[in-house]
Amino acid sequence: MPETAAVSIRKLSKSFDGTEVLRDVSLEVQTGEVVSILGSSGSGKSTLLRCINWLERPDHGDIRIDGDRIGVSDSGKPMSRRELAGMRARLGMVFQGFNLWPHLSVLRNVTEAPIHVQGVSKAEAEERAMALLEKVGMVDKRNDYPYTLSGGQKQRVAIARALAMQPKVMLFDEPTSALDPELVGEVLGVIKDLSKEGYTMVLVTHEMEFARAVSDQVVFLDKGIIIEKSHPSEFFVNPKTERVRRFLELEVPVA
Amino acid sequence: MDSSAWGLLVQGAWTTLWISGISIAIGVVMGLLIALLRVAKIPVLHQLLGVYISLARATPLVTLVLFIFLTAPTMGVNLNRNVAGIIALTLNTTAFNAEIWRSAFNNFSKEQREAALAIGMTPWVYFRRIMLPQITITSLPGLVNEMSFLIKGSPAIAVIGVVDLTRVTNRISAVTYDPLPPILAAAALYMLIISLLVWLQRVAERKASRLAV
Ligand SMILES: Nc1ncnc2c1ncn2[C@@H]1O[C@H](COP(=O)(O)OP(=O)(O)OP(=O)(O)O)[C@@H](O)[C@H]1O
Ligand SMILES: [Mg+2]
Repeated sequence: MPETAAVSIRKLSKSFDGTEVLRDVSLEVQTGEVVSILGSSGSGKSTLLRCINWLERPDHGDIRIDGDRIGVSDSGKPMSRRELAGMRARLGMVFQGFNLWPHLSVLRNVTEAPIHVQGVSKAEAEERAMALLEKVGMVDKRNDYPYTLSGGQKQRVAIARALAMQPKVMLFDEPTSALDPELVGEVLGVIKDLSKEGYTMVLVTHEMEFARAVSDQVVFLDKGIIIEKSHPSEFFVNPKTERVRRFLELEVPVA
Repeated sequence: MDSSAWGLLVQGAWTTLWISGISIAIGVVMGLLIALLRVAKIPVLHQLLGVYISLARATPLVTLVLFIFLTAPTMGVNLNRNVAGIIALTLNTTAFNAEIWRSAFNNFSKEQREAALAIGMTPWVYFRRIMLPQITITSLPGLVNEMSFLIKGSPAIAVIGVVDLTRVTNRISAVTYDPLPPILAAAALYMLIISLLVWLQRVAERKASRLAV
């Protein structure tokens, strides 16, 4: 029996107000794999990521997490809010703008969903949270509020918050794009550690060096179509299309 | 003023306080419910609530109090004065509160909602745990402001014979023939009540400014 993909996207299409943003996108992410999604601005990268956890509703196609379809229940009807929430809990998402909850301390941001979504005891949630804050280097700040943190610190907390749900797959949408250059490294460092630990991740990024270093698969989106999908050693060295070649010339500074 | 005059004054203050207090308590919660219904944009209901809010905000309190008190009997309901007063004050303050809550809903960050849904919260858990605690704090200055407006507007219930803190000054001066002292004393009591609210508002504003960042 073939292994079930962690994420399986089949023939996904999505339009906004009659403009097609994604067309016939298919992609499989195996457990333990890191897949980077590259492409120029407006090519549909965020939309693709947001369709995976149904923050955007696809027009066509289906998306499966560990073999289970998200958004549509077995009977073919749209999922109830509860079912959908249950599917989303299997996916962790990290946003460009961090999106921490400002009324909660760092620790509470991380324990909130385990306690109030999974029903984990407060003690266990805190134990989990402390281990994760340790991992992202934010234990000392556990009682601070988000507004006191730097962007890099906020993003590390946001990563811990997503990990606290013990998701099957982590989704990152340009996690370092809103950061001052000197803070990018600390966040990429955390993501790199996760990749070494075998986390399954889908990553939208403009950090080419980083994508090259951590990815098992690189996907290139152009106007909503996947025009290349290959191993980074192939993608960055020997792109198949002229479009990618031009993109790389612009994005990767000549060494 | 003698001690019996002071006794009357305190009774009047108490009447103002409990009638306003009940109206405020119901008005804050009803305002929240109406704002929720408005945000859900349920057809017909949405328009009806919009009409109610415009009417209630445009009608002077005295007019509303008289209207409730005089029309209720014609519809076969016999209201006592206090209840009629509470209904009128509540209808008025609910409309203002609904708008305060609604603007807090509309200004609330979409990003926080996405983070909540993405992590597996149902819309209800998101509302309870993420949105409500924050909009309560950000709305509090506006709500407290509306509370002090209501208290200052509450002498309107005197037109149907409720003896509140303002009306009671008439009663006292009818005996003492010296209207100034009871009015000054009443003013001082109003100021005391309002300054308590203003203090509460400051505390709320300090909390809210932290969330604004
Ligand atoms: N909610 C929306 N409503 C209407 N149009 C949208 C919406 N979201 C995205 N779009 C449009 O869809 C296209 C793809 O957007 P998307 O955000 O997926 O691109 P992206 O590849 O993530 O770009 P960037 O690198 O700038 O983040 C863009 O033209 C965008 O304007
Ligand atoms: Mg994007």
